[in-house]
Amino acid sequence: MRVKRLLVLSLILAAACKPPTPAEQLDSILSWLGTAEMVGNVWLRHTTPDKYSRQTLELSSSTVGQISKDLLKSPPAGIDTAALDSALTKSRAMITKMATLITAKNSPEFARQLDSLRADQKALKRLSDTIESKQ
Amino acid sequence: MKKFMQIALGIVTSVGGFLEIGSVTTAAQAGATFGYKLLWAVLLGTICLIFLVEMSGRFSAVSKHTIVDATRERFGFPFFAIVLVGMVLVAFMVLVAELGGIGLSLQILTGLGFPWWAVPVSFVVWLLMWKGTFDLIENGVSLLGLVTICFVVAAVKLHPDWHAAAGGLLPSLEGDQKAKYGFIAVSILGASISPYLMYFYSSGAIEDKWDVSYIPINRVIAVFGMSFGGFLSMAVLITAALALKPYGIDIEKFEQAALLMTTALPKWGFFLFAVSMLFACLGAALEISLAISYFFAQGFGWNWSENLTPSKDSRFCLTYTIIILIAAVPLVFGIDPIKVTMISMALTAATLPLAIVPFLFLMNDPIYLGEHRNGWISNSVVAIIILISFVLAVISIPLQIIGG
Repeated sequence: MRVKRLLVLSLILAAACKPPTPAEQLDSILSWLGTAEMVGNVWLRHTTPDKYSRQTLELSSSTVGQISKDLLKSPPAGIDTAALDSALTKSRAMITKMATLITAKNSPEFARQLDSLRADQKALKRLSDTIESKQ
Repeated sequence: MKKFMQIALGIVTSVGGFLEIGSVTTAAQAGATFGYKLLWAVLLGTICLIFLVEMSGRFSAVSKHTIVDATRERFGFPFFAIVLVGMVLVAFMVLVAELGGIGLSLQILTGLGFPWWAVPVSFVVWLLMWKGTFDLIENGVSLLGLVTICFVVAAVKLHPDWHAAAGGLLPSLEGDQKAKYGFIAVSILGASISPYLMYFYSSGAIEDKWDVSYIPINRVIAVFGMSFGGFLSMAVLITAALALKPYGIDIEKFEQAALLMTTALPKWGFFLFAVSMLFACLGAALEISLAISYFFAQGFGWNWSENLTPSKDSRFCLTYTIIILIAAVPLVFGIDPIKVTMISMALTAATLPLAIVPFLFLMNDPIYLGEHRNGWISNSVVAIIILISFVLAVISIPLQIIGG
């Protein structure tokens, strides 16, 4: 009887559950930007295989692209969508560029891109905090 | 001296064989997302595992039965069939995850995608099963797994705030992301309290011809081996909390987990992680394949022993051959092993009562255990932890699945 009640409670709670919120989507994007940053830091120390670093950056870029697409379909209220789109596109382009710089073994340019990525990450983090505070 | 060596080897192999893709992924996710807050789940799982492993060894040493054949004998075939279906399905998913874990380790080392490794890896696992003995699987591969001690080195090198970490040993409620918090807690419990370990350990006691004189040895191995193993899981969680959380990394893919030790051990961290996962998953894949074969063979009354040649227990060998072959299929098609891992760990927790409740009945049956049957402490601890795991699983699994 108790198990039945628990199951019913779970189903009710589950039914009330919504797909990821914009804040959660932005968190996920930030997680992948963080991954790209960490991969970048480690690659600059030459302690990971180039293939792994490049593939992980490509994975970060494609995942950021996918989540961004979903996020921009139903953007958070009160946020400049064009600015958000531009920031996400720029971050994604930077990660893709970093992946190509690994193939070219161009560490100085890679470091510059990594610095820009960090700056973009901070801007997106502020945006994410704003959205979370509005919820 | 001989007994001391047995204890030492038992503890060392328990430590070396403790981590596998489930425990590493769940602990790393917990640390990366919630910091130290889920250390309590690792502690709870480890305590429960100590009790269950001790009981499994004691049961076989005293009764000369494995848990599986006693379950069938005591409860009859129809009930046994239900347990068989539930346990084998979950263990099969875990096997897919472990084979995938080996493939993913090779992928990050070589750049060649894990689906390409599915067939060669499965073949190597099968070959080790076919040619190897129980000692090779229990001791040899577990000794290689000792490389996972590097997680402890990494955690210590990151200078954790031990006071804050100790605070995580007490359960707390999460303000945000309740469903995710509950789901990861359940997954940690599922990864720690894997029923296949009980079946493997109990069958191993029969393979090694244990008798009542092994009860103290069994107790020491269970307590120290599993405790040190639990420390390894905690070290993974602490390392993730200190290395990945500051970057805001929420582990969804193995490639992200591979960064775990690169902060603490800049030069070797990446390679140590890959090698650790390779050996840990290899050991677990062998143990699960054996556990599933034991389950069928003991349940249906076939000849079984990893020490026999395949011609003497052909149905036992055929079982693991088929299981390993089928487990390779989803990996060839690119099913993400990390997703399989998370689902299988949570399902393990949800199905725990199916394995543990009949086992508790057996452990209290004087026909099997006489004066060595369970006391109230063992019964209570295990029953409470299983109840917590089950309730958490029933609540958080649907929330997590539907909530994405």
